[in-house]
Amino acid sequence: MMDATASSPAARPRAAGWFARLEGALPWLALAVIGVGLPLLDDSYIGVIAQRACIYWILCAGLNLVVGFAGQIAIGWVALLTLGAYTTAVLTAGKATAEWHPYLALMASAVAGAVFGVVVGLPALRLRTFYFAMTTLGFATIVTQVALAWNSVTGGGVGTPGPVFPWPFDPGWGFYYFCLGLAALATWMTANIASSRFGRALVAIRDAEVAAEASGIAKPALLITVFLFSGALAGVAGGLFSSLQSYITPDAFTFDLSVLFFIAILIGGRGSIMGPLLGTIILTALPEFAAPLVAWSTFLYAALLLVIVLAIPGGIADLLDYKNRRPLQQHREIVPRPELLAHVLDRAGGPGGVIELKDIALHFGGVRAIDGIDLEIRAGEVHGLIGPNGSGKTTTLNVISGYYAPGTGHARLNGADLPFNAPSARAGYRIARTFQTPRIVGGASVLENVMIGGTIDGRGSFTESMLALPRHRRDEARLREAGMLALATVGLDQLGAVRADRLQHSELRFMEIARALMLRPAFLLLDEPAAGLSAEEIKRLGALIVAISRAGTGVLLVEHHADLIFEICDRVTVLNLGKVLAAGTPDEIRSHREVVNAYLGG
Amino acid sequence: MPTSAADPLLAISGLSAGYGKIGVLRGIDLTVGAGEIVALLGPNGAGKSTLLKAISGLLPRSGSIRFAGRDMIAAGPRDAVNAGLVHVVEGHRVFTQLSVTDNLMLAGYGMPTAELAGRVEEALGFFPEIAEKRAERAVTLSGGQQQMLAVAQGLVRRPRLLMLDEPSAGLSPVLVDRVLTAAAQLRQAGTAVLLVEQLIEKALKLADRVYAMARGSIVLEASTGEADLPDRLERAYFR
Amino acid sequence: MLASIVSHGLALGAVYALIGITYNVMFSASRVFSFTAGMLGMLGGVLGALFISKLGLPAIAGFVLVLVCGAVLGIVTEIVTVRPVLKSIEQHLYVLSTLAFALMVQQVTAIEWGTEAQPFPRLIPIGPGWLDQQFWLPMLACAVTIVGLEFLYRRSLVGRAFLAIAEDSYAARALGLPEQRLRLASYALAGMIGTLAGFSGAEMQLAYFGNQAVLNFYGFVPVALGGMGSNRGAVIGGLALGLFQQAANFLVGGIFAAVAVFVVFILVLLLRPEGLAGAASARRV
Repeated sequence: MMDATASSPAARPRAAGWFARLEGALPWLALAVIGVGLPLLDDSYIGVIAQRACIYWILCAGLNLVVGFAGQIAIGWVALLTLGAYTTAVLTAGKATAEWHPYLALMASAVAGAVFGVVVGLPALRLRTFYFAMTTLGFATIVTQVALAWNSVTGGGVGTPGPVFPWPFDPGWGFYYFCLGLAALATWMTANIASSRFGRALVAIRDAEVAAEASGIAKPALLITVFLFSGALAGVAGGLFSSLQSYITPDAFTFDLSVLFFIAILIGGRGSIMGPLLGTIILTALPEFAAPLVAWSTFLYAALLLVIVLAIPGGIADLLDYKNRRPLQQHREIVPRPELLAHVLDRAGGPGGVIELKDIALHFGGVRAIDGIDLEIRAGEVHGLIGPNGSGKTTTLNVISGYYAPGTGHARLNGADLPFNAPSARAGYRIARTFQTPRIVGGASVLENVMIGGTIDGRGSFTESMLALPRHRRDEARLREAGMLALATVGLDQLGAVRADRLQHSELRFMEIARALMLRPAFLLLDEPAAGLSAEEIKRLGALIVAISRAGTGVLLVEHHADLIFEICDRVTVLNLGKVLAAGTPDEIRSHREVVNAYLGG
Repeated sequence: MPTSAADPLLAISGLSAGYGKIGVLRGIDLTVGAGEIVALLGPNGAGKSTLLKAISGLLPRSGSIRFAGRDMIAAGPRDAVNAGLVHVVEGHRVFTQLSVTDNLMLAGYGMPTAELAGRVEEALGFFPEIAEKRAERAVTLSGGQQQMLAVAQGLVRRPRLLMLDEPSAGLSPVLVDRVLTAAAQLRQAGTAVLLVEQLIEKALKLADRVYAMARGSIVLEASTGEADLPDRLERAYFR
Repeated sequence: MLASIVSHGLALGAVYALIGITYNVMFSASRVFSFTAGMLGMLGGVLGALFISKLGLPAIAGFVLVLVCGAVLGIVTEIVTVRPVLKSIEQHLYVLSTLAFALMVQQVTAIEWGTEAQPFPRLIPIGPGWLDQQFWLPMLACAVTIVGLEFLYRRSLVGRAFLAIAEDSYAARALGLPEQRLRLASYALAGMIGTLAGFSGAEMQLAYFGNQAVLNFYGFVPVALGGMGSNRGAVIGGLALGLFQQAANFLVGGIFAAVAVFVVFILVLLLRPEGLAGAASARRV
């Protein structure tokens, strides 16, 4: 059963579990009852509005994944509605081919929608937000223009009749139940995606792209899949729309309509299913019930959008999320439990490995960021990397984690070359990392953030998640359990259900480590994890890092805090101006004259 | 309200600041007197740059900042500049697409034009090397020359207190001396200087007083005349 | 025929170029892509027709009033839709806030002014033929704007302050430049350029609320291809776009001309996401 909002009641004790699920299911049950019982009102006007709302929601359910979850500003999505509508209408009218049966034509619309969903969405992989928005607008105009011009098939400006579905889904309440059923199916499928590793991965791409890459999430494949699915839904919606309208012309598919879809999702709230659903229903029904509003409806939608963006970016879903308004305990302490690491890391056995960097050099413009660095990270060791600002510490880490390709030199894992410019491949090598500034999904819960770290360990495919098949359910249970265990290890298990943006900075740092642990990493790269932590927290962090390395992981610790470095590192490398100044044990480094000078200048 | 002779030019008390949720400075107390050079030392990540940004208003902060008798806690960088408190940020961030002269004129934005021209000449007087390139775009200057231009920008307003953030970074030793000599000249003319530096020996030679920072707090305050200073500093860093 | 294509093409191209410059000025001041550029162009025509035709004001007065309205709209845009979201971490919120505002204005125009395209008054009785005023007025406006901007950026301190903020707003702020005031002024300037574009081209395009969407897109194409922030690219791209569009119109007809423009635009962007003269993107990690 799905929750009404994006956050999950994962941290609740088992006893209250069924009650919480009932609580979460209540809005859905209410909607289902209203939906099924609507014909009892015997009002055909309301019937038409309800059908339209269902059809719009089928499109919006898919668009929600694109806009609300993946964060792609696809303003011109109405292009797919147009395409779906005309595909169904033309095929059933027999203008271009022999007459098709309406159900087959509807499926053809789904296929056409899927294909063109990818075409419309593809630029998102290359372009910035605004540019992509403009290309979708361009597509919307192209489709309308083609519909206008292709007289012989589409009827041009005059239009073409829409299909009539046979009994029991004939025009009237029969067709209504058809639309309602498909809308319910669309809701169920998108809600399944939303609460799967794919939904979490989408949100990660939206809000924390570099962290998503580090967790192994491949943006192109996932986005293309989502565009396929959402496009198919839009195509189906189009086919149903042409039947509802009974006669379609190009000017039925206005920019206003596209805006309506888009705004419904944003008003509803990104990352939610219930929110955009309510948003779609409200926006479809509103102008019908307040006659003077009809002419001003688009103005009102735009004004609503402005208010939402400026005042309530989280939309309706945020307003309904009363769970996350409960105050948190004031003086929280982070108490890691390193003894749990044996379960978390669950090493598959085998001797530890080693990452070797040899003679790595990298230029930015004319500047040599790093100039011939040798470095070794061994399993079971904590290797510290220190140096003044601009010495190349973070750049080196970024090379190891695959974000930068060096000009010369190589990096090897157990003798095999590590590929560069492929940060999302690192997760497959069990190389995990944290970031200088925590990269998190603020709107998701702490547990969901951590579960993102385990995305690549899922076995179920997108389709299996969409249909909530057993493998998906096993994946989810396993990820959830692993996530709670990781949180308990770093000492944050009490905060699992809390929205991540409510956490203190130090808690976010530990959360990032929990996320990294989900990969059961053979190597863990930490980028200044102690920055902003109190003295006590730094001590606990140090103990945790040592425990992680003793469990067999090779740790690279980039830090400014000299005392932490000298306390827990087995080996230390000092960088200065992109070169290795000294390397050895902490004691050797401490007394190394040149190191002291580099820090103190002179 | 007239300030008494004992009031320092800049008096900071309990200053805290950070970036978003990350708290960096924890209750800093610091003073700079008129016409003195104060060095601010410390390892990376100690918060030295953050402190300067908090003082000049580039970062939101809490606590108390008094400059020339005025309460500056609500002042932004523009107000600070107008009051005589100028901050030369790290990284020689000059406007590369504009000429040297333009860069200096912008530093005096809002001043009457005639007076501004004179001030620009005055600033160029400290650094003859860039004076001869005055009509060229700043992108043609070397890194060291750009740093001199950045310091020159700070001089256009004839500030009462000039804050320099790592002016020696990336400079050859000769150029470093040029910049530090300019600072000494300023002291002669009555300008106070708050100097964040990595080169400890040179900073100690120039400055009157020194503060050392580590992990967001002041860990040492001393006059540069004191004997065992280098050792005390080393201990403070690697504690 | 060729003369017609060239005159139409350069004239429309000049309008697109000016809208592109409007985008650039707003972007340089705030690093924000604003959807209000097309809105300003549309209003240049609509307000011009309103003041001169409907309210009977003399042409010069009407023109000045239109520019004033443009400046005011630019300022409102900055205060309402840009400033509040500049501080937020969410990068694409401002895309939505400017879109929302532009849509609101478009709807008000559609309701109050009407959805029919209305004719724009003839300002100078020269033409018809390829020397018709409707052709060279936009080109004149474009030339004046470019010269004016050059003068502003090279000769006045304010203009150089604009350039400073466009290059490095952090350093500008640290230097004590009044960043907020300068940004407001930039948006007012953008407002005037946008309405100027619409006003000068309105005899061709008519006073029509639907121009907003058209100008939004066609004004963006030269900027996207020439690189955001480059006025030279906007002008070259705009004129080239205008000529291409008119030639395609003549050769294959209106609808396919539109399709051709979109396809070329999308293909070029996919091959060179930063435009044909673009800069590399910043460090992400």
